[in-house]
Amino acid sequence: MIEIDNLTVRYGGVTSLDGMSVVFEAGTCGLIGPNGAGKTTFFNVLSGFVRPAEGKVIAFGTDLLSMAHFRRARWGLRRTFQTEQAIDELSVFDNIALAHEHAKLGGTSRRQDVLAAISFVGIGVDPDSPVSTLGVRDRRLIEVARAVVGRPKLVLLDEPAAGLPDEETEHLGAVIRGIPEHTGALTILVDHDMSLVSACCDTTAVLDFGKLIAAGPTAEVLRDERVARAYLGTADIQ
Amino acid sequence: MPSWVDFQPFIVTGLALGGVYALSGVGLVVLYRATGVVYLAFGAVGAMGALIAWSMANAGLPGWLGWLVCVLFSAAVTVAYGIVFGPPLAGRDPLVKAVATIGLTLILFGVMDLLWTTSGGESRSITLPTDNSGFMIGQIQVNWTQVIGLAVGIAITVVTGAFLRYTKLGTAMRAMANDREISATLGVPVRRVEAAAWLGCGVLAGVAGLLLADMVALDATTLTFLVISSLAAALIARLRSITLTFAAAIVIGLVHDLLTPILALSSYRDITPFVLAAVALFVLSRHRVTSPSREDA
Amino acid sequence: MADTAGVATTVERHPALRRPRNGTLVRACVVAALFLFTLFALPQLLSLYFVDAMTQVAVYSMVALGLGVLVGRVGMVSLGQVAVLAIGAWVAARILFATTLPYPVVLLAAGAITMVLGTLIGLPALRMRGLYLALITLMLAGAITVGLTTVNFPNGGHGFLGYNGSSVHIPPIRRPSIASSDPAYFRYCVVVAALMFVLAYAHIATRPGRAWAAIRQSESAALAAGINITLYKLWAFALASFITGVAGGALAGAVRYLYSIGFPTQDSITLLAVVLMGGAYSLWGAIVAALLLQLLPALLNNWGVSADWLTILFGIGVLQVLTTAPRGLADQVPRDLARLGRLIREQLRRAAAARGGAQ
Repeated sequence: MIEIDNLTVRYGGVTSLDGMSVVFEAGTCGLIGPNGAGKTTFFNVLSGFVRPAEGKVIAFGTDLLSMAHFRRARWGLRRTFQTEQAIDELSVFDNIALAHEHAKLGGTSRRQDVLAAISFVGIGVDPDSPVSTLGVRDRRLIEVARAVVGRPKLVLLDEPAAGLPDEETEHLGAVIRGIPEHTGALTILVDHDMSLVSACCDTTAVLDFGKLIAAGPTAEVLRDERVARAYLGTADIQ
Repeated sequence: MPSWVDFQPFIVTGLALGGVYALSGVGLVVLYRATGVVYLAFGAVGAMGALIAWSMANAGLPGWLGWLVCVLFSAAVTVAYGIVFGPPLAGRDPLVKAVATIGLTLILFGVMDLLWTTSGGESRSITLPTDNSGFMIGQIQVNWTQVIGLAVGIAITVVTGAFLRYTKLGTAMRAMANDREISATLGVPVRRVEAAAWLGCGVLAGVAGLLLADMVALDATTLTFLVISSLAAALIARLRSITLTFAAAIVIGLVHDLLTPILALSSYRDITPFVLAAVALFVLSRHRVTSPSREDA
Repeated sequence: MADTAGVATTVERHPALRRPRNGTLVRACVVAALFLFTLFALPQLLSLYFVDAMTQVAVYSMVALGLGVLVGRVGMVSLGQVAVLAIGAWVAARILFATTLPYPVVLLAAGAITMVLGTLIGLPALRMRGLYLALITLMLAGAITVGLTTVNFPNGGHGFLGYNGSSVHIPPIRRPSIASSDPAYFRYCVVVAALMFVLAYAHIATRPGRAWAAIRQSESAALAAGINITLYKLWAFALASFITGVAGGALAGAVRYLYSIGFPTQDSITLLAVVLMGGAYSLWGAIVAALLLQLLPALLNNWGVSADWLTILFGIGVLQVLTTAPRGLADQVPRDLARLGRLIREQLRRAAAARGGAQ
């Protein structure tokens, strides 16, 4: 369980997060909102790249914000980014092993853990192949594999399906749905693809202009009028 | 410890030198803010301009013609570089853009050494007519070149500050410093504004080259790398504030020259700009949290 | 979705011992052959003038290697590596004059002391953005150059600085007893350089190399993966400083009179230029860079052409590399060299086919 209490981030006159208070219980939780709502800022606070002006984050009983950012990975925080982060010059295996070795999980189980992660996300290619030869699907899966290898506690996925066609998105959705059971981690998924969010997430929170405007079971939240209004202002009308 | 009287003449030379450093520093900062390029070839273009002026004077042509050509040459090379290499590198990291100007520096350096070799120990010098006339402030001798050095430094700082704040072109430059792409979508004529910035910087490089050739030495290596002193001033101002650049430049010039009469430190005085910049940067960046997300200009 | 069967299939396809692929074996043989040729045959084939030049190539290949690791692997630009070289040379000269320690110990000491100094200087600079780091190293290089001009290189004098200003006869810096002749010292330097390349490779192929690759790709992602960025950047700096310090020691023995080298600021800039042209990423690039920096001028000098043309060429080279390389400063292999490589391979293949057809 992760508890966010009155999280506020101000930067140069803009309040990116405004008194955000929410509890993510367990399983896979969605975080949606129009562009600029503060979703990535929220992830940046959790990662430690941005210091909030106010607020607390208690994750699994630990005060996350008081931990140095590079120690959070050791604690069990994992994150993917909107832009591709797979490292071209390394192999698939090395890309994922990188996350494992810096999360200080110990060398003896490394190969086993990495291979387990590779098969969990469903990467079919030879783990020794360099990433530069792979397509978008496998690159995105590598990023998810990095997020689930070992024993993560909190997995943050920032638009993991960006750039993927529909069938691959479905596959990714199945993988994401399985993360809590496979690893025991709490997963927060940020995405614009509502079908992906409804397929993976039991509960969802909605941000708009830095404020939390709804939170609860995904189906209810997606039907909420306030959420529709928040999106209609900026998204295409369907 | 030398007496006050010993220091006095160095206050004058230090202020003059600082003025020229300020002139250069402002040029560097404005160009950086408009284009993201740290123009490391600033000293080299000025140096070559000064050498051309020297050759022309040597050939019997009137002095003012040489100075004009110096400034025009520096401006032309700078604008040409900006037009040719600006666009292909526009979206790249400022580090890449700065390293590219090193390419220009090397080319100019090679050309200068080819055409004006330092063989035979022949030393060249430029003397401006203002070197020979001056006045006294109390006990101190001041010549007009030194006055010009400081005056031009002050003038450029003030004029540029006003230009950036009050003119359309200046506002456009400030907008672009913030975000080039957004400025473009707002209708700012990006290429033209950049060309203007390159032009201004090139002109300043020529003027600075001429003044430094007179005040310090007419030597390709010395002049090319004197840009480091102006760069130090610009860095202390975080490549942002014109006024701070001016202040830092004056301090650098003063400290450098004031160390001359102190025998124990005199031979180390060339380290001044480096030390000041390094210290300032270390002190100033201690409070910064590394922000791996969106870099600010 | 724990898939033990999946793990099994992956393990099957991924044997316990990673088979060295054919390519790697061939490459290793080529490297070994080249090394042996350089070590044994080359000095016999060249005149003393060129043996000298090639000794410089060996020394500067180490300097280029250090810079290559910084630029190509981590993405940090240092504009002051020649100043670091000067420090290494100074330290080595001081120890060589003051003690009778064996050469390898002196080289290691020079490397270690330079490493400590380089790391101390680099430590505060590493938290800065790339551009500022580069400019700070430029500043420090300038400072060190000025400092050295004032302090001078050791010349057998006493005191901490080891400089005797009134010496009329300056003793040459000694060489290792097994390698006092120029060709022998060339071989010595080649071996030292080879060891440095092995050291660098040992880093690149293991954990620090992977961390550097992650940092170069994206600092945010590296941080999120738990990589201590400052630590790994410092490590790269330390490695580069160590290697350059050892190179300084080798340089001291090569030239024997250090006052003849100015170690000017522009040399650091030229070094960056040739490293970019040779390819900052590949280890071969360091050798190419050294050849550009030391062999070409020697050749031109021999033919009576001014070395200034090279400076101009390097300037053009920098602009060319940066405008054509799609990814930052460390493209995998610069396009021209890659194209050149392909052309050569194509020619060799055609020649082989023609010979085969003629038979």
